[in-house]
Order: sequence, then structure tokens, then C-alpha cells
Amino acid sequence: MIQLYAITDNPGPPLPDVAPLKTVPIDGLAAVCAPAGETEASPEMLWRHEEVVEALMADRDLLPARYGTRLEDEAALARAVEDRRDELAAALDRVRGAVELSVRVAAAGAPPSPAVPPQASSGAEYLRVRAHAEASHERTANAVHEPLAALSRASVVGRPRPPELFRAAYLVEREAVEPFTAEVARLQDAGAGLSFLCTGPWPPYSFAER
Amino acid sequence: MRDKLLHAPPDFGPFAGDLPRIDDALGRRVNADPESLERGLAQLVLTIVELLRQLMERQALRRIDAGGLSDDQEERLGRTFMELDRRMAELREEFGLTEEDLNLDLGPLGRLL
Repeated sequence: MIQLYAITDNPGPPLPDVAPLKTVPIDGLAAVCAPAGETEASPEMLWRHEEVVEALMADRDLLPARYGTRLEDEAALARAVEDRRDELAAALDRVRGAVELSVRVAAAGAPPSPAVPPQASSGAEYLRVRAHAEASHERTANAVHEPLAALSRASVVGRPRPPELFRAAYLVEREAVEPFTAEVARLQDAGAGLSFLCTGPWPPYSFAER
Repeated sequence: MRDKLLHAPPDFGPFAGDLPRIDDALGRRVNADPESLERGLAQLVLTIVELLRQLMERQALRRIDAGGLSDDQEERLGRTFMELDRRMAELREEFGLTEEDLNLDLGPLGRLL
């Protein structure tokens, strides 16, 4: 069994010395893999995978493979990549020179109000409460998303998980990470009662397929 | 992992509850023993039902926004969704699930919302 770390350009810079890595070349692309151990999945192994992908990302563009992507052998890997060669090459072009940044926004301070609206006395009132909550939610999301989207190449807005109000991943040019972070800080200062969590740079997990 | 923080509130503020949840999620995924399997299935089914309920509710709100529904129709629609919301809360309780548990990442399906 082998595990896949990333799809990248071929030829590329020498492989980093972080794992017994090997490349399988496929028509202008290279799949970077290593023998898969018998270890069980664990948070530590997940971070280990991330470490390898990030070491690769340091000096090359890549499509990161999801943790736990395993194949029988190199021949099976080559077949799997060949089948989607053009699609993967196009995806690699889309993320070229960019990294992923994650942004999540939640109401600061007070614990979030329960999502269940107060007992409505009528169906019409229930809908009014819902419509109001939705409109205010949308205003928050737009106020955050628009300035950040302007600084990024692409974005994927996710479904916020309570108590979050907003979550999105942005594909940002490596050189634009600093201005992007500065914009997050500006929004934090301007946004009344909002708390921002911005992490990265990550491999472009959210933009590897579309 | 500190070096991945580009911007964070002091002590993580409202996000502080995340860390245990990530470990939980991985543990749940990895240990698919029979007891947790039933709960996991209920969680998946209710997640999809909740997703559909929210989609329909949004669509109803848009229809009302666009006008064209009588007060009576609006009231009936509102009552239906209120009832569905209540039933979902009951089902969640029955399976010992929280609202957050029904926020599974459904991949592209989740982006419908």
C-alpha cells in the first residue's frame, strides 16, 4: 500500500527529506507518495500528513491529497491520475502561486443566542422571525466576504457551524497573504461585536477539485 | 500550530470550544463500533432531513418576499415550518444529538445552503 500526498508538476524541485517520498511521473504531472504504514488513523498521523504536504508546498505548487488517500501500488496510482490527467492539470493551474487561508467569524463575547426562535404565537410571526434572522446573517456575511474576496483569486463559502456566523476559504496569492491578514485585522477593528479567526497558509485543500 | 494563526481573538474567544470537537470527530470516524454506528446513522439521516427543511424554509421565505401569497397561505406555511422545527428538536433529543451534531460536512451537498 502507498499513500498519496500531492499532485504536482513534473519535473519539480528535489523532494524534501521529511518522509521516504517518491514521485510517480504521469505526462507532465507527478504524484508524490510514500509507503503507507500499518498505523491507525489518529490526530497525530493527520498532522504528520499535513507536515509532509506543507514541506512540499514550501517550494512548489501542488494539489494536496486528502489524508488517508491510499492505493495498492504505484501502477494503480499512475492509472488513477492518468484517468483524470487534464482535470488535475487544470486544477493545478488554478492554484498556481497561491495558498489557502481560512476565515471564520463568530459573535464576540456573549454566548450565541439559540437558533430556535422564541416561541412564535402564529405561523406568520414564526416566518417573520426567521426572515429577520436570515437577513441579518446575510448582511454580516456580505460585509465580511466582499472585501476579502476582492483580495483573493477564488473563494469557497462554507456552511457556518454554530456559533459561527460565517466561514470561508480563500485562495490567496502567496504575496497577498500579508495584505489579506491586514484586511482581516481591519474588519475585526471595524466589525462591531464580531470575532475573527484567520488561519493559514494551508495547502489549497478547498480548491483542489471543483 | 501557533504559526498557523494569522489572526485570532485572545484565548480564541468564541472558537475556544473547537479543539476538543476536532479530536471527537476524528475519534468517531475511526471507531465505527456497533453502538456508535446506530447513532451515527441517525445523525446522518437527521442531518439530511435538517438540510432539506432549511432549504424549503428558505424557499418559502423567498416566495413570501416576492409577494403573491395570501395572509392565510402565509400563516399555514409558517405553521408547517414551525411544526417541522419542533419535530426536529424532538427527534434530536430522542437520539441525544445537539444542533451542532447536525452540522456534518456533507461536501458539495452542504453548499446548497
